[in-house]
Amino acid sequence: MSFREKSAWITLIAMLMASALFALHAPRLSHPGPWDFHALLACIAAFVVIETVVFLVLRLRYPQDARTPIDERERLINLKATRLAARVYVIGSFLAVLTLHHGASAVMIGYFVVLAFVIAEIVKFSARIIYYRRGV
Amino acid sequence: MGGTIISNRIRQLRFENGEMTQQQLGQRIGVTRQTLNAIELGKYSPSLEAAFRIAEVFGVPLEQVFQYNSAKKPE
Repeated sequence: MSFREKSAWITLIAMLMASALFALHAPRLSHPGPWDFHALLACIAAFVVIETVVFLVLRLRYPQDARTPIDERERLINLKATRLAARVYVIGSFLAVLTLHHGASAVMIGYFVVLAFVIAEIVKFSARIIYYRRGV
Repeated sequence: MGGTIISNRIRQLRFENGEMTQQQLGQRIGVTRQTLNAIELGKYSPSLEAAFRIAEVFGVPLEQVFQYNSAKKPE
């Protein structure tokens, strides 16, 4: 497994863990308050900490792999995965705006846009792993 | 996604050239060992530039490294 595939796994797992943490809090979001924003920040912080620590351990364990410059296949994988994620994000954001017609508040729409971004990122890193494993 | 209609003889050429490893060949053409493995297995079709570099390393024409199987339909 290449260093960048390992990195994709780390980011995906860290993102899923942080999302799961926030999902536990989701039922409160029907009446959002300041505490919800703090919960969101805490989940983002948890994601950054998990990813940074695991990534540093990986870098120390495989220093040569970490220094290897990105090659043409990896660049193509990143482009294809990012294109897919961009579509998910655009559709998700559009759906988030549509919730305005169902009585969603501005704060709720904000949370839906964040949700669209998180789903798009999960799609991006999942797609990268699939392309690394199945070929591109 | 998956198999390509381009086959290659890279593995055979590596062994004919002093059992060169994927890592060594990858370093010479500027790709990772994993990418070279994907090329050998037909999971990735390299760029024209990388294909020429591979042929140059082995000192053979491009068509001796890569073969286009026109009968096979792309997936």
